[in-house]
Amino acid sequence: MMTVLQTNLLSKNTKATPCTMSDELDHTQLCQWLNAVGKMRDKQAFTHLFKFFGPKIQRISQNKLSNHAQANEVVQITMSNVWRKAHLFNESKGAATTWVYTVMRNVTFDLLRKVQGNKEDNLSDDIWPIVESVSAEEEAFDDHLENKQLLTVIDLLPEDQQQVVKGFYLMEMSQEQLAKHLNVPIGTIKSRLRLALAKLKMQLGENHD
Amino acid sequence: MIKHHPKIELLQSFIQGDLPASLSAGVAIHADLCSVCQQKIAQLTEHTAQVNFEEAFLDRFIVDDSAAIENIDVAHFDKMIAEITESNDVDTPEPVIEKTVTFKNSQYTLPTVLNNMVLSKTAHIGNLARARVQLNENEIHTSLLHIEPGGGVPEHTHKGFELTVLLAGSFHDEQGDYVKGDFIMLNGSVQHHPISDNGCLCYTVANDALHFTQGINKLLNPIGTFIY
Repeated sequence: MMTVLQTNLLSKNTKATPCTMSDELDHTQLCQWLNAVGKMRDKQAFTHLFKFFGPKIQRISQNKLSNHAQANEVVQITMSNVWRKAHLFNESKGAATTWVYTVMRNVTFDLLRKVQGNKEDNLSDDIWPIVESVSAEEEAFDDHLENKQLLTVIDLLPEDQQQVVKGFYLMEMSQEQLAKHLNVPIGTIKSRLRLALAKLKMQLGENHD
Repeated sequence: MIKHHPKIELLQSFIQGDLPASLSAGVAIHADLCSVCQQKIAQLTEHTAQVNFEEAFLDRFIVDDSAAIENIDVAHFDKMIAEITESNDVDTPEPVIEKTVTFKNSQYTLPTVLNNMVLSKTAHIGNLARARVQLNENEIHTSLLHIEPGGGVPEHTHKGFELTVLLAGSFHDEQGDYVKGDFIMLNGSVQHHPISDNGCLCYTVANDALHFTQGINKLLNPIGTFIY
């Protein structure tokens, strides 16, 4: 007569295989873009992210909500949250796709609760917290302060040299990756880097090299 | 030790955001206390995210007018990008504050997932006290249910489902003993008679009134509505 529905998950195999990376998703690239937005407010990296995720989020939401205006709203709020929360992304805790997925899932959940006549109470961030722990947050904050002084000097450089310096030194991208990312020949990257370093030396004085 | 967990199908719906807030919060409370389910959730999320953003998966959604939709949205997207990046504000997460709730002079720490939910005033019947969690989910009712030591709920059945997540203390029924963190999902065919020897606090979600089944207890059916 009595049926208990829950199952002990320990005895169950999960089909999830998080380590199998697909061929078509360039996780390293997505991760770099997300870090560039989080650490440097890099608009170009954000544009790349938007072009990658935007249309996909729209199709997923269109399928889930069957409403074009609401699907667009999910894209708008999700990508806006990506722009404002990217500094909370921690690559050691998971892939960029996972992080963006959780942001999208949370936005959709709150929107659905609102649309279905419940409440505008935005519970999603309590159910699925974006920040995992306070300590991780503090570390990011320290890094942020350290970079700040150097960033003010780098900000005095011309835009094209700034991108190369930030990419090479702060994001640890290779010169080849930067050439691909900025869509310029590798020789241009090398000369921009050389020019930028000469200027930074002047700004910071000889004792900083 | 926690022995009762959500089924894998329920976890999958949870990470996809397909469950109502009441059940989502139930899973979140359990996962906070259960590292096994925490890990399952992390794996399912990683996997689902990856599959969702692959073209092959998205291609299934392509309908006749999808090309038209994309044409319109390229210009729309450029405008969105410009608007979003205009602002330099960043979100700083608010520190998590510990909230407490008091039943019969005992203070309990509220699971953080409930921090921003509105609790109604506590109502009492006998050994039971109930505070409604106001989630506005129509026939789905969510409550904090407190049972005093020696108290219990008379033998009953449910027409719908009844989820109980044990937040503090312990109770037992014909099926066995339950401890803090246990996630107990019962369906309509179940008859049970939970008793708490030392008292307990539960998070409960049900979508129909409890129905008392035995002799004189049938007179208690208004309590069924009270608990539901």
